[in-house]
Order: sequence, then C-alpha cells, then structure tokens
Amino acid sequence: MKNKGLGKTITTSIVKYKAFFAVLVMLLFMLFPRTNFYSVFNILDMLNSASILMVVSFGLTLVILAGGIDLSVGGSLVMGGILTILSMNVMPMWLAILIGTLSGAVIGTINGYIIVYHKTEPMIVTLGMSIILTGIAQELTDAHPISAEGLSFMMIGNGRIFGTIPNLVVIMLVVFAVFYVILRYTQFGRNLYAIGGDYEVAKYSGINVRREKAATYVLAGMAASFAGVLLSSKLNSASSIYGDQTALTVISGIVVGGTSLAGGVGGVGRSLVGLLVFAIMENALNMLHVDAYIQQVIRGIVIVAILALDSYDRKRRREDV
Amino acid sequence: MANKENDIILTMTGVVKTFPGVKALDDVSIQVRRGSVHGIVGENGAGKSTLMKILSGVYTKDKGTIIFDGETIETTTPHQAMQRGLSIIYQELNLVNTMTAGENIYLGRFSEVNGMKGTHQKAREALDRIGSDIDTWTLVQDLSVSRKQMVEIAKALSFDSKLIIMDEPSSSLTQDEMKALAKIINQLRSEGISVIYISHKLDEIFDFCDTVTVMRDGKVIDTRPVEEFTRMDMISMMVGRSIEKEFPERPRKVSTPLMEVEGIKTKKLHDISFTLNKGEILGLVGLVGAGRTEIVRALFGADKIKAGTIKLDGEVVAIRNPRDAMKRGISFVPEDRKQQGLILPFSVENNISIATLKNLYKFGILDKNKERQIAEKHIKTLKIKTPTARTAVESLSGGNQQKCIIGRWMEIQPRILIMDEPTRGIDVGAKYEIYLLMKDIVENGGSVILISSELPEVLNMSNRVLTVCDGRINGEFDPEKASVDEIMAKALGVSVEGAMA
Amino acid sequence: MNKALMKAVKEYLVLLLVLGLVLITAVIEPKFITSGNMTNIMRQFGPLIMVAMGMTFVIIGGYIDLSVAGIMSLVAVVTLSLIDPIGQVGAIFVGLLIGAAAGFLNSLVITRSGAMTQAEGLFISYGMSVLYGGTALLYTGGVTNHLSYIESNYSLFTLIGSGTVGIFSVSFIIFLFLLLILYIFQNFTYTGRAICLTGGNKTAANLTGINVNRTIIIIWTISGFMAGVSSIVLFSRVTTASPVLGKGFELNAILAVVVGGTSLKGGKGSVARTVLGAMLVILLSNSMNLLGVTVYMQNVMKGLLLILAIWLDNLKGRR
Repeated sequence: MKNKGLGKTITTSIVKYKAFFAVLVMLLFMLFPRTNFYSVFNILDMLNSASILMVVSFGLTLVILAGGIDLSVGGSLVMGGILTILSMNVMPMWLAILIGTLSGAVIGTINGYIIVYHKTEPMIVTLGMSIILTGIAQELTDAHPISAEGLSFMMIGNGRIFGTIPNLVVIMLVVFAVFYVILRYTQFGRNLYAIGGDYEVAKYSGINVRREKAATYVLAGMAASFAGVLLSSKLNSASSIYGDQTALTVISGIVVGGTSLAGGVGGVGRSLVGLLVFAIMENALNMLHVDAYIQQVIRGIVIVAILALDSYDRKRRREDV
Repeated sequence: MANKENDIILTMTGVVKTFPGVKALDDVSIQVRRGSVHGIVGENGAGKSTLMKILSGVYTKDKGTIIFDGETIETTTPHQAMQRGLSIIYQELNLVNTMTAGENIYLGRFSEVNGMKGTHQKAREALDRIGSDIDTWTLVQDLSVSRKQMVEIAKALSFDSKLIIMDEPSSSLTQDEMKALAKIINQLRSEGISVIYISHKLDEIFDFCDTVTVMRDGKVIDTRPVEEFTRMDMISMMVGRSIEKEFPERPRKVSTPLMEVEGIKTKKLHDISFTLNKGEILGLVGLVGAGRTEIVRALFGADKIKAGTIKLDGEVVAIRNPRDAMKRGISFVPEDRKQQGLILPFSVENNISIATLKNLYKFGILDKNKERQIAEKHIKTLKIKTPTARTAVESLSGGNQQKCIIGRWMEIQPRILIMDEPTRGIDVGAKYEIYLLMKDIVENGGSVILISSELPEVLNMSNRVLTVCDGRINGEFDPEKASVDEIMAKALGVSVEGAMA
Repeated sequence: MNKALMKAVKEYLVLLLVLGLVLITAVIEPKFITSGNMTNIMRQFGPLIMVAMGMTFVIIGGYIDLSVAGIMSLVAVVTLSLIDPIGQVGAIFVGLLIGAAAGFLNSLVITRSGAMTQAEGLFISYGMSVLYGGTALLYTGGVTNHLSYIESNYSLFTLIGSGTVGIFSVSFIIFLFLLLILYIFQNFTYTGRAICLTGGNKTAANLTGINVNRTIIIIWTISGFMAGVSSIVLFSRVTTASPVLGKGFELNAILAVVVGGTSLKGGKGSVARTVLGAMLVILLSNSMNLLGVTVYMQNVMKGLLLILAIWLDNLKGRR
C-alpha cells in the first residue's frame, strides 16, 4: 500500500504543500523580469506589508482549527485602529493601544457567546457583526480617514530595528511565536485540534468545548484589532474601509496554507506561508507595473480558485472514504 | 474477599429508560464482581448498548439506582465516568481521526502528562501494556479499525480503570487480533480489573466470560455463571419468541434472472458480479464498511461505476445517476433515514410524492389534488400513523418515517426494491409490517435486495444470501441450509475451521 | 395556546419589530406619509426587490449569493457603454445576458468543485464578487459614466428610471410582472419544488431522483439575472453607472429575504414574503433617515437585525 509510485507521491506532496510550492514558483518566476524584486529593501518591505494580515491570520487560524469561522476580523481590524487613534487624544499612547487591542476581545466575546452558547451559524453571525462594526466605524469617523497627531505613534509601524529590520516584521514574529506556543505546547491549543477534529469526542473527553471554542473568537478578535493598531500606525490613519477584503483574503491565505476549513488540521506556521503567497503575488504584480484593477481581477480569480480547489479536494475525499 | 460488599464493583437496580415510542430498558438489574468478566448477550435492540450508554453518561436513566465502587451515581458525563474508573470502548469508535494515536489516548489531559513528550511516553507505556506495537505518532485515520480498537483499549487502561466495558469489540477483529484481545482480557482479570463484554457471538462469550446476563427487549432474562448455561439455553433466551412469529413465511416464487451484474468496479468495490432473479429476496451480509452499501449505491447510480456492466432483462443498461436507475424501476431505501431518505422539514405528502413528482405536473403546473390522493393512498395501505398528510415528516416515529419512504417507492411500482437496514431503530410490530411489504413486492413479480446487520432478519427473509468482504462478494449461501457460523465466518473473511474453533 | 403564541412571536418577531419602528416613525414624523416620501420609497424599492427575489431562490436552495454586488456593477458599466454602439434594446439585452451568465458561472464553479455547504458557496461567491467588481473597474478604468454623456437616444432608460403608467412607476410594473412569473415558478412548477427539496436535504433529494446540480445551476443563474435587472433599473434611475454601483446590495437583499421570514437554513421560504421583507427594509431605512439616524448607524441596525434573525431562526429549529 505504501508504494504508491513516485508520480503519485509527488502529486500528493504538491497538494499538501501547495502554498510552499506556490511561493517557490513565484520566487523563481521573479528571477526573470528586470525588477527590484530581489533587493533587500523590497523583500523587507514586502514582509512589512504582509505582517499585518499575518497577525490577523494567526488568530483566525485558531477559530478555523476549532471548526468555526470569523468574517468579522475586518471589522475588528478597523475598530482597533480607529479606537486607538481616537483614544490617543485623551490618554497616553500605550493605554490607547491597549484599548484598541481589547476592543477586538470584546467583539470576539460577543461573537463567541452568540455562536457557541446559542449554537448559531458562525458565518452569518460574524457577517452581521462585520456590518455592525463597519457601521460603528463609519459613525465614529464620519466615514473619513482619521489620523493621529505627533510622530511617536507612527514610529511603531514605520520604525526599523538597527535601521534595517522593520518593527512590524519583528512584532509579527513575536505574535507568531505566541500563537505557535499556544497551539503546540498548551492543553488549550491541543484541545482545539480535538474540538475541530471531532466535537463530540472532545466533549466526551471532558474538554470544556464551549468555553474553549468561544475563546478562539476572543483571540481572533484581539489579534485582528491589534493588527488594526499596527496598520493605523503604519499608515498614520484609520478608516472604515481598511477592513473591506480582510476576511476574504486572510481566509484564502489560511486555506492555501493548508489549514482545513473543516477544522482539526493545520497551524499558524501554515497560515504564515499561505499569507506569504498573497504578499509575494501582490508585490510581484506591483513590481511588474500591473494595473491596479487588473490586480483586483487576478486576486478574485486566485481566491476563487483556492476556495474551489479546497471544496474539490474535500469532495474527492468524501467520495473516497 | 471476606467482605461481600467490597467484592462487587457495580450494582444496577431497576434501571428504566424510555425513548419516544420505545421502552429501551425495563427494570434492569445487574451486578458485576471485581476482577470478573461479565458477558451481556442479546439480539440487536435488546438494550445492551443503551444500558452501557447510561453507565458511561451518554444517556441519563429515567429510574433506578447505580452503585459503582461503593458510590451511588446519579448523573455523570463520559469524562467523569472515566475518571471514576469506568471506561467504555464503543462500537462506533470514540477517537479524533485527525490526531495521533498518542494524543488520542491522553486526549484532554495534555498538561497532566507534561506536554507532547509526556503524552507519547505514557501512551507508549499504555500500548506496551497490551502488547501493541502501534506507533504513537500515527494519525488515527491511518489505522485499521482493529488497531483503532487497540488504541481505545490503551486509552481505557490509561485511566486506571476498575471496570472496562467492551461493546462488540470483536466485530471487526481478525483471528490473530482476537487472540491478542483474549490475552488482554485475561491480563485485566488477573490485575483485578472487571470487564463487561457485550457480544452476540456465543463462542466468545463462552471463551471469555465468568458470568453471563441474557437480555431481550430491554429486560434482563437471566444471569448465571457461564458453566450453568448451554448454548441452546442461551439462544432460546435471546430469541425468546419462536422464529415463525417474528418473520412471515419466506416467499417462494423465484423465477428467471432479472438483473445481471458483471464485474462492477468502483472506488471501493472490486469485480462485483451476481444475478438477481425475479421474485427473489437477495440478502447481502457483511460488516459495516465491507462494501454492502457501496454495492447497492452503485446499482442505484449514487456512486460512480468505473468498470463493468449491469443487465436488466438481458439488456445492458447505463446507470449514471439515481434518475437513470429510477427510470428502470430500481428504488432505494437508504440506510440513514434522516440524512439520506427524508427531507425532514417537509410534509408527509411531499415526501411521498417526491419520486413521482414529475408526473404530477400538467402543462407545467402541479396537480395538488393528485399529490394528496397519492399520499392518502399510501398512508392508508401502509397504515402510516400521522395526524394528516400535511404533517411534517420529522414529527413521525421511526417506523412511520420508514413507511413514508417505502410508500414513495411503491408509487413508482418498483421492479427492484433495494433496502439498506430497513428495520433499524423500528419497533417489533412495524418490523413485521415491513417484512410483509417485502413479501408482497416479490409475490407480485418484483425483486428485493436486503441489507441488514440483523442476521436473523436476512436469514429468515432471503432466498439467497451473498457475503461481502473487503469490497468483494466472497460467498453465496442458501439460508435454509447454511449455518449462521458459516455465513458469519465468510463475512468476516476467516476460514470456517478458524471461526468454529 | 401559550405555546402557539410563542411560536407565532418567534416566527414573526423580526417582522413585527421592523413594523413597529416604521409605525413609530409615522406617528412622530408627519413627513413620513407625504406623497413625496412615498414616491421616494417606491423608487428605492425597485432595485432592492429585484435582487432580493433572486436571492430568495438561492437561500431556499441552501446557499447565499454574495456576488450580486459585483454582478450589478459589471452589468451597469457594460450596458451603459453599449448604448452607443448597439442601441438601447441591444444594450439591455446584453446587460441581462451578462447578469445571467455571471450567475451561471458561479453555479459552474460551485457544482464542479462540489461545494455543497452554505459556507463554501458563500466564500466562492464572495470571491466571484471581487472578480466581477474588479472587471467592472477594469472596464471603465474606474471612471463613473453618466447616462447623459452618451450621445444616442436613451429614452428607454428614462422610461425605466422615471416613467409612470397611471399612478404606478414603470419599475414597479416591471417588478409586478417579474413577481408574478417567479411566484408561479416557485409555487406551481416542478423546478420550483425541486429547489425547495434540494435546499431541504441535498443528499436525500439526489437519492430520490432530483437533479441537484441542475437545480443549483438554475438558482444561481436566476440570482445573477435578477441582479442584472436590478442594475439596469437602478442606473436608469440614478442615470450614472459607477463601477461600484452594487456595493451593499448583497447585504440588503439577504436582509430583505430574512426579514420576510425565509429561513437561512434552506428549504423553506417564498418570494412573496421577500416582497414584504424588502418593503420593510426600505421603510426602515426611510424612517431612520427621517428620524435623522445616520446611514452608518442604519448599517449597525441592519447587522443587528441579521443576527437577531439567525438567532430566532435557530430557536425555531429546536423543539
């Protein structure tokens, strides 16, 4: 049974590590055209931009692992930025950042409570939540971008350590490490795999399935609003439109990375690589001076392709087992 | 040993459990001694599994008392039961498929055993204790069913269990694995751990058990030391009523071939060939997952056929989807009523009319009167108990739901009726009516393919029995001549001598 | 008796809530019942109800279509650009065709990939919306074109946008016509029943001879087509075709369907109820406008309504 033939083994591993191969192919491709793609500056810049969505993805990965979904991460991201900038007018910066970050925890708590404790469809509840959050964000800013006064806030998102490595990349790696440790080395993290893998079995094994599943929404909301703080700092502005396609892009990245939407399989490492696919794609398209609207079309096609292939993969397995 | 009280690990007194329409347990009292292997035998539906689910906290009892290890247990959860020292190994396995064997053994106890390293170390010890060489890092989904069972046993042992319940553990084990299991059970007994061993295979009961309880229709019929039983006592106690009452007389109008299946292959099936005759009830016997359901799904066009032909009346027919099959007069009562058979929120009449729906349209407009008439007709002839034809089918009992599905197919006047577990979860009276229906169909020139896990049902209703094992048909029997053991051995894929030994 | 009352409340709570809000407005804000305001309401009603009727079929069939926003934008910009080269009738024809084709394309991706769950369908249609919206932007270069810049005659669009027959606006008559067709389609034809059965249980429907894939193709195509109709009605009224014309319509349409009482679980619902739902969503917006509630806070209200609706829907399912 184990000698499936080399061809099949290669196909299976390509499917399994598709994000990794996509990254590799794009990197190879970019060797040919004459661009600044391979300059140290560009690569750091690319990682710098990608960091924000990566932070969102780490939290959302937990939700998906436990068998849920959260479409309101865009809203949490927006709220994080706006609340931080607004709060900074009346309180010290660190407190404002804390408030911005915690706003996501509040949102996540509400999501988790409605979804887990009232057994409602997570997709639609979080869709509703994202509408609510966008509305609140618009109300708070009158639908115009707002910016912070002074330069200190900007320095977080634009500073570089030793003058080279962007702060955001370092922060992203720290958040990554935290989530990696949670998933890998804590009881809670391992329980999430069980909850997403088989909810009933997890319940019968004495895991507090409801509390822990709800907790994933809290963490996802917090990660998203923290990412919103970082984004606002990077752009020195916050706006209700910044979160428009966040959920869709991040979910696509997570899926292409190899975390199953069915739950129980995956991890933040995979999400990091998955999000890298989008980061490289976007950067490469910019480097090649592709029209912004063509970029949107390409992004649409790529997202649909990723999600459709994921469904197809599941269909194949459904018929196989 | 002197203290008689202390000698008993589990006492159940007067336990009652009622499900809508069925009294699953009726005044059940059982005592289990420490360090003994206590067998519980009974047919499907006798209440064995319900009893065990109450013990482990999946269900709650309506009445009665349970004393485990000197403690009265009112309500419990499966996890609490395990921590008290009462583990259960289910028929349907209770493992997370996407996780490793090691993590499954210590599921929910990651921090107790100090992380991943400790998990795998301790899991290794638990597996070694039962002499299993399963790698703790293998994903459970990659293990065979029997190896999954070993993981379950290791999990039970890891809790320092005082009582382990094994619910039909042998149903998917090979002979070597059975020997290993026997060894494990003996070892547990010598360590003073009690085992409740549930099975309907008498050989195992006589091999393993010290005491045996026979159950039937939710009641305890008798409990005795195993030496005081003969096989015949046990069987007559299990069956209780005579076979003639339980099943109508076998139809005998088998004539010429109706359907010939040649060399069918699908993802799960290899080279399936057989013939179905007019007026015949053909039984398919095999373990769950052996390919019984897959065979009929292929015939009905629900699964893709990769190779092979199906002939009806000697003519090759193409069946690519259920619609093709229905056009040829093939109908299918699926195994899972609620998921595959019924559209639950819809009315009885909608569910009955569905198969012939297309014919009810005149100039593209639905003839609602005709739909009603059809539904009323089947409600009457099949004696479906429903307030009205417009009642949602989800509010009906299992037996009546099943009759709705059968009524639906009666309307297309099927030449071949495929029934996959048609009497599962249905009370005795309704069962008999379904048997009569099957008989009615074949006596009017149709044919039936019957799949059932209840052997007596297949053996008493079928004209011929095929055994299915590993995606192949590996035997054909005349149910009036062959013995149950012979057929079971074939279905398990073991040689006859082995199974009889 | 009490139980029946509870059931009725659960069934109609969202509806009653919205109705209550509207009535309160009517009492405290006399402007509400002026004829000018009523005309205003009728105008807003047209485009929304078109999308919402199409969406009803998708939701009954067990999916949610988020691509209608992108389809509306695409149809508007293409139709407008074609008025000069091929004339008004041709342009409208092509526009409707694009709508239906986009819906059909959605259904192909969904059936080919075997996306059987509501979540999968939602994600895929979300991605398709990005694609259609991007195409619309690409087509116009991001510019919003005005109907009056088009050289040729655009009388047909003026008629659709602001014409009246007696006391009814032309768009309202188009709506009545489509409602009649869709109502008959849903309640009396085989395919109408097949859609409900498919939404009720796809596996069982397939095993009883319903062509599930065909049904899925039909519902998405209807939804795309209706988004096309809505787009043409909308840009005829506003006389501009922006490449982001359809933004927000998907959510309003879902809300109209849900407020009307069609279950998001699939299987049950009706276009007639959606008419009521759409009317209430419009009245809600209108009354909140009159009360001085910002558009932003109206979105908040809508999100809350959606969550409330799914929560109640879930309570209904439990017995």
